Amino acid sequence: MGVVAAALDYDAELMLRVKDGDGASFALLLEKHRASVIHFVYRLVLEQAVAEELAQEVFLRVYRSRASYEPTAKFTTWLFRIATHLALNWLRDEKHERMQERLDDGPPDLPAREVSDRRPSVEDQLMYQAKLAEVRRAVAGLPEKQRAAVLMHKYEEMDYVQIAKVLGCSESAVKSLLFRAYETLRARLAHMGRI
Amino acid sequence: MNCPMESHNPEMLVAYAAGQLNQEALAAFEKHLSGCPACSATAADQMAVWQALDVWEAPSVPSDFDRRLYSRIGAEQRLTWWERLARPFHPLMLRRILPLTATAALLLMAGLILERPAAVAPATKGAESVRAEQVERTLDDLELLGQFSAARPGTQEYRDAM
Repeated sequence: MGVVAAALDYDAELMLRVKDGDGASFALLLEKHRASVIHFVYRLVLEQAVAEELAQEVFLRVYRSRASYEPTAKFTTWLFRIATHLALNWLRDEKHERMQERLDDGPPDLPAREVSDRRPSVEDQLMYQAKLAEVRRAVAGLPEKQRAAVLMHKYEEMDYVQIAKVLGCSESAVKSLLFRAYETLRARLAHMGRI
Repeated sequence: MNCPMESHNPEMLVAYAAGQLNQEALAAFEKHLSGCPACSATAADQMAVWQALDVWEAPSVPSDFDRRLYSRIGAEQRLTWWERLARPFHPLMLRRILPLTATAALLLMAGLILERPAAVAPATKGAESVRAEQVERTLDDLELLGQFSAARPGTQEYRDAM
């Protein structure tokens, strides 16, 4: 499996080069996956500074583990397993009170919106912020594993097999996990899409 | 095709909303949707959820992310071997390790207190004192029995023993 994974997965090949001491390959991996790791962790922990810190820790661990790296799975599976583990541990340490506080305070670190044809009006901005707060609250309200599964499925476009490997469960468990999560979100968010 | 809701395959609705069905499956499902109001309504809702989630844009990557990372990697490479060994005792790690260590210490102390010989000693003393009394009583009884067996009925010794 290790040889097959390396043959199929260019990232795993790069990581094997990092193992052999090639720093440029690590820079390539960082360039390729930096944004998706930060975004994924950010959507889990809901704090930009924490997400950046945890994402740094993810890549630091990848670098530290280079000597013992074996391409037994896709590189991104390994990468997101580390990211999920760190983010969920942080959430468990922080408990739900702080999470609730952050949700109630509203998003302090809204990404800058770019509208190509015109500048968004104040009303547009308020509408956007209200929608965003609702989406954040709905996703944050999901159980940890469902939340991580939805974020990987929706935003990282991972397939069921890969999500199953990251979360350490079966493919059918992931399908059921995702269906339950989207059903919960349907009850909370379906009205938004129909507007 | 069978109704996904009735054939225990509701995940198909999620795959449809996510655009993950292949052409063949998509055509079959859309044909089913046209005749199944329940699936049609659920699929429309799932599409709406999918669109609603698009609202959530993640913040941009900070420009100094790589610089900070490489600076940490550089700092790690300069660590001496004992500093590498002490890495688990970093303040962030201690936050996780300390409660575990405290719990383990408490359990150990509780175990030591429960297993202390002093806690068992009084019971042993009691048992010894009971045994000494029993032995004394048994010896008295034996002496009395000896007197009985030595005395024959009708003799002065028998009358004294009675």
